[in-house]
Amino acid sequence: MANDTLLNIENLSVQYKTRMGWVSAVDNVSMEIKQGEILGLVGESGCGKSTLGKALLRINPPSARISGHLWFLGEDLMARTDEEMRQIRGQHISMIFQDPMTSLNPIQRMGDHLVETILTHEPEVGKEEARARAAALVDRLGISSTRLNDYPHQLSGGMRQRVMIGLALALNADLIIADEATTSLDVIVEAQFIELLKELRNEFNLTILLITHNIGLVAELSDRVAVMYAGRMAELSDARSVFKETLHPYTRGLLKAVPNIRLDDEEELYMMGGSPPDLVEPPTGCRYHPRCPQAMPVCAAEPSHFLEAGPDHFVNCWLYEDIPAEYADKEPGE
Amino acid sequence: MTSTEKIPIEDIPQWQKDLDQAGFVRRFLLGRRWYGADWWFAVISGLLLIFVFSMAIFPGLYAPYDPRQEVGPGQLAPGELPPTFVLVGQKDGATELDDLIGEDVRIGIVIGSESAQVIREVAERREEELKAEGQNVMLRPRPERYDTIEEALEGLSNDEVPAVIGLKDEIEPLLAAHPGLVIGEALSGNIQKPFVLGTNQIGQDVLSRVIWGTRVALLVSFSAALFSLVVGVPLGLIAGFWSGGLERAMTLVMDSLYSFPGLILAIAITSVLGPGIMNVIVAIAVLYVPTYYRIVRGQTLAVKEELYVEAARSLGARPFAILTRYIFPNVIPSIVVIFSVNVADAILTEAGLSFIGLGLPPDTPDWGIDLASGQNYMRQAWWLITFPGLMVMFVTLGFSMLGESLSEILNPRLTEN
Repeated sequence: MANDTLLNIENLSVQYKTRMGWVSAVDNVSMEIKQGEILGLVGESGCGKSTLGKALLRINPPSARISGHLWFLGEDLMARTDEEMRQIRGQHISMIFQDPMTSLNPIQRMGDHLVETILTHEPEVGKEEARARAAALVDRLGISSTRLNDYPHQLSGGMRQRVMIGLALALNADLIIADEATTSLDVIVEAQFIELLKELRNEFNLTILLITHNIGLVAELSDRVAVMYAGRMAELSDARSVFKETLHPYTRGLLKAVPNIRLDDEEELYMMGGSPPDLVEPPTGCRYHPRCPQAMPVCAAEPSHFLEAGPDHFVNCWLYEDIPAEYADKEPGE
Repeated sequence: MTSTEKIPIEDIPQWQKDLDQAGFVRRFLLGRRWYGADWWFAVISGLLLIFVFSMAIFPGLYAPYDPRQEVGPGQLAPGELPPTFVLVGQKDGATELDDLIGEDVRIGIVIGSESAQVIREVAERREEELKAEGQNVMLRPRPERYDTIEEALEGLSNDEVPAVIGLKDEIEPLLAAHPGLVIGEALSGNIQKPFVLGTNQIGQDVLSRVIWGTRVALLVSFSAALFSLVVGVPLGLIAGFWSGGLERAMTLVMDSLYSFPGLILAIAITSVLGPGIMNVIVAIAVLYVPTYYRIVRGQTLAVKEELYVEAARSLGARPFAILTRYIFPNVIPSIVVIFSVNVADAILTEAGLSFIGLGLPPDTPDWGIDLASGQNYMRQAWWLITFPGLMVMFVTLGFSMLGESLSEILNPRLTEN
């Protein structure tokens, strides 16, 4: 596995215009996605995971304001024109969506989806060849190529999700963003899906950004894990360190909140206090401080920085950062 | 599926195997079971409309007469034969029309009866026959008018005229009083068989007019609905896909058009544009553009938010391709439904416009015009308004039924429930 950086996200911010004002869904996020890795991106609902994923393709709704830099193979995607960006979508970066039931055009045959995707980016490929490629691809994904002429409603949920992967693979995209790709699948199909994803990753040397709130899935699949909270990056490291040597209090809370089948009657599932913040007027300082069990005076006043606390282990918390002098001597709760 | 037993393959008749190969036919027939009543509605209204269309395209094949020509006596009821006229003469005198050759022959008739016309028609016919045989004779007796048939027969007995023409049924009971008279040749006009739906007040065949009226009604309503579809659908797609100032302005215009009562707006437009079939089409088309615009724009706004559109964008599809390959096909079911409902509505509007005398020239065979002229004779001749009215009803119903059942069949959201 090469350690070259495929996509370097630098100070990415996404804001949406609403009637209440600007909502900062993603705030100043920086991270790297390395060639050939599976990066898990976890967090609560509404913490900006999907917005971040869409911002990488620049397909957020027109009301969104994106700033920052996206260095993809050494070039800044933010500087690209819409037409150049359209060429990159699908060919270099593609996305698998949350709901396989509705992410295929109901009146287009499954094969036509694949053929169209191929022809959009490689018009020089003939229709026959594109069809042959689609058949081979579908075959590889475990769907009989006789079903190329089926409409989406004739396919099961798992099959549709595999077709979506096929669409992402059709042009050998460098980066696949899987946005909650397994959320609407049942556990058996989900397991098959994970297995398939692992195989494909080894076969095609895929780089996958796995956006999910399913911690188990991340633990199973990811090489590295990024944790987001309220639009900011909380913690980023390899999967083992995040789960075993957790640094950020939020990550700790998140891990405790995962239901365990061995949980007995006396033990209750941990419930994090409070609720995710209102992003129109986010809390001052660290956005997690109103819910944080280890909050300090500095947390409410100044935002912490996303710094390396251990080898390749980044965290965004005052616990691991030098506290400015004016807050240093204050006790918690003051 | 009557049984699950396996039928040996050689027992299946060849036509059934052929049917299996013809996937479309088979699926169509199987739809009966799947969609139930909606399938029947669609098929029945479809067949009705196919029949109506064939009438509109080939009215000449169906219509027995020219719709504009006066082909018989006025206000003849459906199925009624024109009354038989006879020539009454003296026993030793003329009993046939051929006996009445001459320059100044007079013949008795009753004022206001059809007799004069019958004489003219029969005489003309006979003259033609004689001309073909080489005789050039004048067979045109001048009518001598009497107030009643009794007076006419009295006149005949008194040798005032050589013969009298009258209705056979009226003359027969009076002959007893005039022993010297005898019923001679039966004279019938050109009408040999009854009119299926009768004739109107000026003697035009109602059936032919109704059949030719189909052409006008369908031509106007189809062109109008098609015209507004061609204008309204692209506008709706564009407005739904690229929202902004243009979209707001268009929506404002369309909504203000939509807020007018339909027929009133059509009347206003036709009175401005003046008469003519093209102007009627334009007037009705303007009426329906907002319907397409609103529905298509709403659907586009909804479909645009669907995940598959976002997925297509994430795969790098061009905006134009998204509009034509993802959004437009998903809007088509609604368009089909509005189209058929609009055609039905346009037929009504067109009939309404003609009814109040706007748009089409008054001699056009058109249901609305026939209804308007027939309403004055409603008490004497019920068939004048009944049959054009029924045609309006059936064709409108056919289109609405087809539209509704198609919407049930085509709309996957409805079938799932």
